[in-house]
Amino acid sequence: MKMSLTIQPRFRLPLIVWILLGLMGIALVVALVRYAVGIGPISDLSNSYPWGFWISLDLFTGVAIGSGAFVIASIVYIFELKEFQPLTKPAVLTGFIGYIMVVISLLVDLGHPERIYYMLIHTNHTSVLLEIGICVMSYLTVLAIEFSPVVFEGIKKDKWAHFIHKFIIPFIIIGVVLSTLHQSSLGSLLLIQPTKLHPLWWTPILPVQFFISALAIGLGMVILESTLSSRYFKRGLESHLLEKLGKAIPVILVIYLISKFGELLWAGDLHFLFSSGWMGILFWAEILIGSVIPMIWFSIRRLRQNPNALLTGAIILLFGMILNRFNVSWFAIQHPDPITYIPTFMSNVKYIPTLPEMAVSIGIFSAGILAFGLAAKYLPVFDNEPEKTQY
Amino acid sequence: MSEIINHAFLFDATRCIDCRACMVACSVENNIPMNKTRIWVAGIGIKGEFPKLESASMVYHCMHCAEPDCLSACPVGAYTKRSDGPVLYDPDKCIGCRYCMNACPFGVPHFDYDKGLIEGAFIDKCTMCPQRIDVGLAPACVATCPTDALEFGERADLIAKAHARIQAHPERYIDHVYGEIENGGTSYLILSHVPFTELGLPEIGSIPVKEVSETVMGYTIPFALGWSAVLSAVAAGVHLYNQKNEKRSSAEEKLEDSK
Repeated sequence: MKMSLTIQPRFRLPLIVWILLGLMGIALVVALVRYAVGIGPISDLSNSYPWGFWISLDLFTGVAIGSGAFVIASIVYIFELKEFQPLTKPAVLTGFIGYIMVVISLLVDLGHPERIYYMLIHTNHTSVLLEIGICVMSYLTVLAIEFSPVVFEGIKKDKWAHFIHKFIIPFIIIGVVLSTLHQSSLGSLLLIQPTKLHPLWWTPILPVQFFISALAIGLGMVILESTLSSRYFKRGLESHLLEKLGKAIPVILVIYLISKFGELLWAGDLHFLFSSGWMGILFWAEILIGSVIPMIWFSIRRLRQNPNALLTGAIILLFGMILNRFNVSWFAIQHPDPITYIPTFMSNVKYIPTLPEMAVSIGIFSAGILAFGLAAKYLPVFDNEPEKTQY
Repeated sequence: MSEIINHAFLFDATRCIDCRACMVACSVENNIPMNKTRIWVAGIGIKGEFPKLESASMVYHCMHCAEPDCLSACPVGAYTKRSDGPVLYDPDKCIGCRYCMNACPFGVPHFDYDKGLIEGAFIDKCTMCPQRIDVGLAPACVATCPTDALEFGERADLIAKAHARIQAHPERYIDHVYGEIENGGTSYLILSHVPFTELGLPEIGSIPVKEVSETVMGYTIPFALGWSAVLSAVAAGVHLYNQKNEKRSSAEEKLEDSK
């Protein structure tokens, strides 16, 4: 790498980096306060709402949008569609950083973060949460191994990178299996609440629906993250590859819609579609934004071939699917009121996430963006890069 | 007092006068801080017009299910079910994930939201006073109840007693003992003169809510092994197919070159 000989009067960081660092600082302060005085004072979580914003955004959404890594890895290494190779490294990096963010946010949410390793020594085999915990820990290790060649290349240890690369296939397969397990298990996490989760969402096939939607989210994330980083780092965009990925999205979404409505029909819950008030509206919003509109959008060749339209489609898809994760893990769960103890759908117990609560998530997200930026700048994440641009 | 095999409570809502002595007794017995409680007495208010008034209240604490959902959900096995009834929680194992609170259909376990890392934030819930029942005493809430709204004893005997009471006064009670079959059977049995949903009790069938979750969890290992095998086979198959194609195309190229 050639040293840049531009004369810089003093050390300067771009404004965006300052903003990200500031947000991280706020999150750190909030986290320290939380560790000192407890979860109650900084959040609106209560005995009626044991899980809230952190779980819906950081765990459910965080894991879902980390699915790009395993989708691309299986396309490239299992189906050997080598042309998609250039998308692998950034997708694995996004997944790796995303999962670290999930773990960090859980360390804020857990009552006893220092005991997280208890999941490995006191295991209860009927617990879905145990499976997710172990899968996420193992998958984080696998992602680290998958990403390590890039780091080795970055520090000029090409031999090591080559060595890892030789044995990458078994790790890819383990990674895909672990991803399948925990992506679907996030759905299983809600199976234990048949009396609490609204019947529009509760179904024994929740894990299957979660897995299918994770595939669509993974493709959407690859499109989003490639397009955005190509713009920010001013490098070429693999639009022909993204167009091909876009082609697969309608197929996945059709299967997803069949699983959604087929199950409602099978369980005889179709009447809830139009008789559930707010719940019905949330359901339809999620279906329209997350499935129907993207399905049509990505079926239109002209839209797929336009990078802007492709990006817009991916954002619509992700928005709708994230709404789905929020619905199942938060909006559609009824919470008993601890005073009158009358179970109701979101009526007499209120939960409104507080600013500090959101600040933690925003800070962790900022750290993720910064980590991605640093890795992209100093490690060979993007293949055959055009000349490095200076800022 | 004969040996009790399966301890249980019987609560009769027609007898409860909403005095909340049980809450006090519980807190004293178990040394619960002033701002916390393991029992709620939930009143549903006064209905009707003077002088014909009607009210109902419900003493709410852990149902001590025969098949506890909290136990099934806890990732680190902090819950245990004693064969003679109590569902117990071990704070030394708890990681504070609060999944048990989601799992419990009755919303029983509650969490120390006001404690930081140093004090330690734990789950708390009714324990059925094992320190008392082990020496043949009834739990504190039962011992203190002035109207016998709460009774304690062998589960089978209490069920028989409850049905006998319904039969003796069919006009007074709803003909159902809540907890006899609910959620797979609970050790807290309830008699009421108002619909159970009005007391705030969820409508649950005889199948514990953990059933589907545990069934799905049972498939995890076989699925993981099967899926690994399928993926390996696909990867190997695709690889061999591609190699064959490459060889053929390179052979064809050579053939064309030699021409």
